[in-house]
Amino acid sequence: MKKSSIESIRFEGLQFCFETGEVIFENVDFEFPTKKLIWVQAESGSGRSTLLQILAGLQLPTKGKFLLNDQNVADMSFEEFLPYRLNIGYGFDFGGLIHNRSLLENLTLPLLYHKIESPDVAQEKAQELLLDFGVLKYKDQRPAVVPGGVRKLICLLRAIIHEPEMLLLDDPSVGLSQDTALKYFDRIEQMKKRGKCQHIFVSSFDEKLMGLLQHEEIYVDCGQIYQNVNEKEKKVVNL
Amino acid sequence: MGIGFSRIDDLGRTMIKNIEYTLRVLLMVYLSLRATVVDQTQGLRTIFSVVSSQIYFTGFQALPLIFVLALASGGIVVLQSASQLSLLGGTDLLGNLLVVIIVRELGPLMTALVVIARSGTAVASEVGNMRANREIEALEVLGINPLSYIVFPRLVGGVLSVLCLSFYFTLIALSGGFAVTWLMNEMPLSFYLDSLAQAVAFEDIWLFLVKNTFSGMIIFVVSCYQGLSVKRSPTEVPVVTTQAVVKSIIYVVVFNLTVSGLFYIQQFMQLGVL
Repeated sequence: MKKSSIESIRFEGLQFCFETGEVIFENVDFEFPTKKLIWVQAESGSGRSTLLQILAGLQLPTKGKFLLNDQNVADMSFEEFLPYRLNIGYGFDFGGLIHNRSLLENLTLPLLYHKIESPDVAQEKAQELLLDFGVLKYKDQRPAVVPGGVRKLICLLRAIIHEPEMLLLDDPSVGLSQDTALKYFDRIEQMKKRGKCQHIFVSSFDEKLMGLLQHEEIYVDCGQIYQNVNEKEKKVVNL
Repeated sequence: MGIGFSRIDDLGRTMIKNIEYTLRVLLMVYLSLRATVVDQTQGLRTIFSVVSSQIYFTGFQALPLIFVLALASGGIVVLQSASQLSLLGGTDLLGNLLVVIIVRELGPLMTALVVIARSGTAVASEVGNMRANREIEALEVLGINPLSYIVFPRLVGGVLSVLCLSFYFTLIALSGGFAVTWLMNEMPLSFYLDSLAQAVAFEDIWLFLVKNTFSGMIIFVVSCYQGLSVKRSPTEVPVVTTQAVVKSIIYVVVFNLTVSGLFYIQQFMQLGVL
């Protein structure tokens, strides 16, 4: 399966509300900056994770359009969206590992399922990542029996193993040591230099970590997304 | 008067809810089938590994329980009916009675109930926990359709298991029946087999296949659907598991009754009674 390159990411009159009726986004028109690391900021419950889930195609807007390369994601079938999906990496804030597979199998799953790499290359690639982050000894363990930090790390590594163009990270530093988090972002930087991981969206409260990374900021507040400083003043959240 | 109308309203609402649920479940069957056919990357190897493990857990591991139940059921049916038939002088009809009760009714129903209790609950809680642990979301993110990766192989494995288990149940129940008749009446095996062979018709095989195939499908589709209906919380898992059991039993029983009813209507029409 061939990956589709992502050139533009845009919301057009987008509305999103949960089944409970809680409105998260209301009539949002927003063109997301591309080829940058974007720090998504908001207060808890304002829609940071929901924004990332919409960008990953995990949630569909209630109304309006989420456009990737001017194509409305809601109009696409699972198979039509697949070429984009293969170019998107998603790091969950919690959970997200397949529990009846070992950590190594979790890492190789996207590579082998979509035949992106041969089994030997996939194993080699996954083992190299595990070795680099010092968790190779857990490779044959299942997620339930390893420490929480390792689970979180594997989830983050799985998001980048297929070298996606767009990377969405939900609270990536929670449960990780500062060194590991920095090493992870260093790895992303290396990939970026090779033309991978071009559009990175990070939702985080970790100001210390984000302060060390070159980034742009967007703010989610009162059902809207703001980017410019002037617009930032409109928001009522204190971060 | 008002109470009467409100009862009719309640009945209507329940009917609409059940019809809506049935349509949603049928839609899931179609979508999982479509996803499997359309998904070029999944490959038969992935499907086969899940199907084989489903057959192992649902079919193979249930054999001892089915054996005991079938032996007891067959023995009891023959014990009760043989004593009544001998009083009426109708021992020759024993084969017909066994085919009607065991092959047409008891085999499919008892097997379905055992599978619901053992595997329906397991599938509903497994899929529900996968949902709560965000494994289903993870599969979607990785470009793996949960309907072709989770639902379809369980459906195929489940249907095959129910068919095989029901055949096994029938075989053991009829053997148990023979053991009882042999002990009670010293009935020769040849007479017993002859009586059964004369009683079994093409319609019985057709009825057996239809009932078991669809019962298996109902159990596993309902269980997967209930499991996938978990939103986020692990506390939802026991609730959906219970619902999966209750709904599977209701749907299987209603389906079996409907098929039997239609079968007898058709038989009566052939005989010119209707």
